[in-house]
Amino acid sequence: MTKGEFTDAVRIQQEDFSQDEEIRALQASSKQMGGIATFIGCARDFSEGRKVTQISFDAYGSMALAEMNKLRDEAIVKFALQDARIVHRVGVVGAGEQIVFIAAGAEHRAPALQACNWLIDELKQRVPIWKKEITPQGDSWVTPHP
Amino acid sequence: MIKVLFFGPVAERVGASEVQVPFHAGMRLQDVRAQLQKLHPAAFEIVCFAAVNGKHALDMSLPLAEHSEVVFMSKFSGG
Repeated sequence: MTKGEFTDAVRIQQEDFSQDEEIRALQASSKQMGGIATFIGCARDFSEGRKVTQISFDAYGSMALAEMNKLRDEAIVKFALQDARIVHRVGVVGAGEQIVFIAAGAEHRAPALQACNWLIDELKQRVPIWKKEITPQGDSWVTPHP
Repeated sequence: MIKVLFFGPVAERVGASEVQVPFHAGMRLQDVRAQLQKLHPAAFEIVCFAAVNGKHALDMSLPLAEHSEVVFMSKFSGG
């Protein structure tokens, strides 16, 4: 696969993503990366003692994508990254499935790990996406954790 | 008209994902909020953020223009 065939570095999509493809795309952007840190958020099949069968995501799509692009740009500058990628799913995600992917590549491992941690924390604070847990007892919107 | 969008738990409490509010000269973000809060008090109990034309709006006295897109949002829970 050539560099031009890779998907955008920041995406919101209904379909699942491939961690391997995302990392290949990240690596294709630079050969100066000595460390790549990744985070994958997944849908748990339980929450507060209840079984969760699916999670439904709603997003203010245009603003969410713009904020995610801003986060990537900020992380690249703040942590001197070679590149970073962020993918978030919307729609209905089954228990056990992947929700969000973040990858940060830097010359050394420390900034890559710090950037990855910073990106998921900031995403939760700044990106307008909401999740609803679907359980056998009914559906409920998730109250964010601090 | 001002297009007002709702998402997630706020949309559920409003019972709609979009409403139109008539625009008038000198209209500010707080005017739209006050008008809709009267109609949908339960929804606005959980509203924490607003955005105008896709950008976070921290100042509720922000002047609006005709055809502005306004969003009132609860705390985010993505990731």
